[in-house]
Amino acid sequence: MERGYWIRSKPVYTSLMWQEKATSHLVVAQGSGGMAVLKIFQQMHPKQPITVLYAPSSDSIVDYASTLKKVVPEGLQLFDSVQEMLTTLKEILPTMYMGMRVYVAGSEGFIWTIAESAKEFGIEDIDMIKELTGTLARSIYCVHCKAITHNITTNIGKCAGCERMLFVRDHFSRRLGAYMGLMVDAESPGQLPEIEEIYP
Amino acid sequence: MNMINIKVAAIEQVTPLVKHFTFVNKDGTALPAFSGGSHVVVSLDINGRVHRNPYSLMGSPEDTSAYHISVRKQEKSRGGSEYMHENVAVGMQFKITYPVNLFSLAKKGRKHILIAGGIGITPFMSQIADLKRTGADYELHYAFRSPEHGAFVSELEQGCGTKFHCYTDSNGERLNLDELLSQQPLGTHVYVCGPNSMVVAVLEKARNFGWPENHIHSEQFLAPPIGEPFKMQLARSNKEILVPAEMSMLEAIEAAGVEADFLCRGGVCGRCELQVLETDGALMHNDHFLTDAEKASCKKIMPCVSRAKCERLVLDI
Ligand code: FES
Repeated sequence: MERGYWIRSKPVYTSLMWQEKATSHLVVAQGSGGMAVLKIFQQMHPKQPITVLYAPSSDSIVDYASTLKKVVPEGLQLFDSVQEMLTTLKEILPTMYMGMRVYVAGSEGFIWTIAESAKEFGIEDIDMIKELTGTLARSIYCVHCKAITHNITTNIGKCAGCERMLFVRDHFSRRLGAYMGLMVDAESPGQLPEIEEIYP
Repeated sequence: MNMINIKVAAIEQVTPLVKHFTFVNKDGTALPAFSGGSHVVVSLDINGRVHRNPYSLMGSPEDTSAYHISVRKQEKSRGGSEYMHENVAVGMQFKITYPVNLFSLAKKGRKHILIAGGIGITPFMSQIADLKRTGADYELHYAFRSPEHGAFVSELEQGCGTKFHCYTDSNGERLNLDELLSQQPLGTHVYVCGPNSMVVAVLEKARNFGWPENHIHSEQFLAPPIGEPFKMQLARSNKEILVPAEMSMLEAIEAAGVEADFLCRGGVCGRCELQVLETDGALMHNDHFLTDAEKASCKKIMPCVSRAKCERLVLDI
């Protein structure tokens, strides 16, 4: 990657850190994101109310639920699936007030699923603190057939929809939670550059 | 700069200190469209000196047959507000700029909390028209000194019903910001316009409760302060001019026949920014636009409200 070059739509992920100025805190995590939650609870706890939502993930070997139960002092809710978690999230958000800080940790797909739900309640993704955990695997949307293919770990991946070989770009769609994929061998069919794992 | 020629169609004394002016297009046609929160700059020729002051448009954006502004008579006025109060009469004509909006409503906001102090009610008058038209959820909180200074209160009571809350200082009524800002639903935006102390209090409170910056909006046009006269050089125009005590740098530049950009003339929009090429003294930054670091660097100045204390000041204009 060229230095000093940045695609503006590419999201920025950091580490979860409590925000002192707040009316309440909502921590949402899935799978390996549980580790980020354990880490944030190592920091001094804020004085405002805290809610923690956690669901396991099939791509994380470790389920942090039982450790979280021991570490999170209050407001922990455990779910079997992200779907269940989203239902609860949509019930909680209308009762929350401005100044609630949102912290999200997990895979990229999870982070943007949460961002999409939060947006309906007026929370913008730039105002959420996001930590990417576990894997850098990307979801890609095919600009040719519009299908979305998950868990791409290589620079080039096959579209699950039209089977074209797609080059994975840094352009990111917040709405789709996926990176742009462009056909690689459009000019010279069948001639592919080397496929390497770069999003382990 | 492109200007609109208007005629004063009506003047109404609203409170002991506030007058409401109605402007219509000189040629009788409709005026340009605007959105809630917009302002215009009124250009007045007072004894051969051009005064230009920004005023919020108060009417409904749906009605472009006339513009409405309200002017509070300022005690330490440099002449503009006093002239509007004492000398402007129905039938007079002058020029105003096209409306510009530096205080617009957040389109995606789920709820809007409007906080006004005194004459700071004016930009909200047009915003409320927009909010009512779109059916958006809002609350208006209006604080003023004493009953006789509560401009437009009955109009607002009628138009906004239970969404309107007013606080009369002389009756000991105070707006409780803790209560107001700690329990608003997600997606709420707050807007404040009024005296400096009020604006600062609202900004600080919202930030302390963790409201994101892009949900906090304020408008506070500063009046150019009166200061010591000083000289400056306009490098590109090759002119040396004096900035008198009661003129802003921008006004002095304009009076010298040099065209300069502006939108708000109140130190908030950033449009008038000039590069300082050279100076041997201190720049007195009065704007709300430049960052502290930029102010300290002495490389830029906002001539609409700022001044200098120096022997030599060279500007890139
Ligand atoms: S004209 Fe807006 S800052 Fe000077």
